[in-house]
Amino acid sequence: MLNIALPKGRLGDKVYELFASIGYDCSEIYSDNRKLVFENKENGVRYLLVKPSDVAIYIAHGAADIGVVGKDILEEGNFDIYELLDLNLGKCNMCVAAPNDYIEDFDRPLRVATKFVNIAKNYYISLNREIEIIKLNGSIEIAPILGLSDVIVDIVESGKTLQENNLRVYEKIMPISARLIANKSSYKFKNEDIDNLMQKLKKVLAE
Amino acid sequence: MKEFLATMSKEDSLTYELSRLYKQWGYKEYRMAKFEEYSFYSDNRDFLSSSSILAFNNSDGRLMALKPDITLSIVKNAKLTDALTKLYYNESVFRMTESSNDFKEIKQTGVEVLGKVDNYLAAEVLSLAAKSLAAIDGSFILSVSHMAFIPSLLAEMKIGENAKREIITCIKGKNSHDLKTICDKCGVDEKQTELLVKLAKVNGKLVQTLPELSALASNDEMKKACAELEFIADSLNKSDIADKLYLDLSVLNNTEYYNGIIFQGYVEKAPKAVLSGGRYDKLANKIRDNTQAIGFAVYLDNLNLYYRKEREFDSDILIVADSKNSNVSLLSLVESFIEKGFSVRVEHTVPEGYKAKTVYTFENGALREVASC
Repeated sequence: MLNIALPKGRLGDKVYELFASIGYDCSEIYSDNRKLVFENKENGVRYLLVKPSDVAIYIAHGAADIGVVGKDILEEGNFDIYELLDLNLGKCNMCVAAPNDYIEDFDRPLRVATKFVNIAKNYYISLNREIEIIKLNGSIEIAPILGLSDVIVDIVESGKTLQENNLRVYEKIMPISARLIANKSSYKFKNEDIDNLMQKLKKVLAE
Repeated sequence: MKEFLATMSKEDSLTYELSRLYKQWGYKEYRMAKFEEYSFYSDNRDFLSSSSILAFNNSDGRLMALKPDITLSIVKNAKLTDALTKLYYNESVFRMTESSNDFKEIKQTGVEVLGKVDNYLAAEVLSLAAKSLAAIDGSFILSVSHMAFIPSLLAEMKIGENAKREIITCIKGKNSHDLKTICDKCGVDEKQTELLVKLAKVNGKLVQTLPELSALASNDEMKKACAELEFIADSLNKSDIADKLYLDLSVLNNTEYYNGIIFQGYVEKAPKAVLSGGRYDKLANKIRDNTQAIGFAVYLDNLNLYYRKEREFDSDILIVADSKNSNVSLLSLVESFIEKGFSVRVEHTVPEGYKAKTVYTFENGALREVASC
């Protein structure tokens, strides 16, 4: 039995459809209830629906064998897992965004508001730029408007939210997409099952 | 003895079983103090899995550390002779945990050999590592790698240390999609990138996968390493552990300290590696002149979580004796049960959730059997 952790929400739905299309379906998942665990014994799969930021934690602790998670979460945390495949789903970019009229002042440390503290720190360390991090948990776009920060580091998908808040992409840090990850021990002991799934995924992704 | 071991926790019974195994192979137990001078660890901080060290001042003002690692201390302090120094240990290390960001005492057992390391010795240590895993769980996998492959190829590449670190992270995570992107970004030669990707993907049973690795060996160092791995595979071919040895070049250790064969052990119920080791001549030579070394550590912490022993009964007999009914004959009664081989607990009342095969009450100097709990 393969335990698969999926992120609840839009990305999880897309990924489930992808998995179902290669023979790992579990029709119960469509039933309108509050269950978070769905099993299809015939296909040998059990899906766990968890908070996107928790997928990698479930995998690292062996509560699930494989899972799908955004690269942003992998980069932000430090998880002892295998990252097996880029699913090319949920594509977006991790960016530095700033007000439309922003001009960077190199005389003083940069104030950066973000949910992704480690990504922001590592990015500015690579530029040898002194920063002051302001950790926020949501509505990051407000920070520069209210003068709380100079810039923000956040995920940008279409750029519409930025536009509506008079912000623009100032620098691109890295591309983000959904990744297939595996617990290290599960990958060894369930290698055949995981490898089978990977080969099928690769095939369907290449089409 | 087996019955006795069955009553112990996984961690405790393993400590006993592994000590017996290492003794049978001629290894001597090495005991050490809990503290060492802080400067010794801070000088070798890169070798430690966590950079935080629990330090304190002793009575004469010297800064001391609670041991964050055993190998370093053995390499520094063990007495060396012309013969091999073959040691095993059961010790605690004090490390910062990632999850709680706090220090934790971690029980470790392991084997270290100092002296001239030859192919036989590497095979012996690998075999002991496999037997240690088998003692935890018959369902285990020992992933074997060699520092002559990916690290030596990385050393040939004319790229910066940051890029190398990124490449190593990708390889350790079996992430070949980002590996190619990073190599392209850093301007790594196409042929080298191709070889690196192929080496990173080498993964399979040791005996069956060795020919694939030999075909990829592109320099003398790699060819020598293939011969070393072949010797080990041939030495262990007839043993029952041969089937559990896998070649996996994504296993990588710090190049500053390790050289030669390296390995990591997994058991089915634990989500992380429970054993890690390899040849570390480079570390040994930093501390002692002309010394070669090989060894491994078994991480016993958390094994109790994954291998919980469900016992049917807490003890064979529970005697409920109210303090008011104290009688001088009770102790000799308990002793008579113990002499017969029963486990006995005497209580004032039945403890919550307690399970005993037989429950007695003790009143007026006599036992009376009541329904078991």
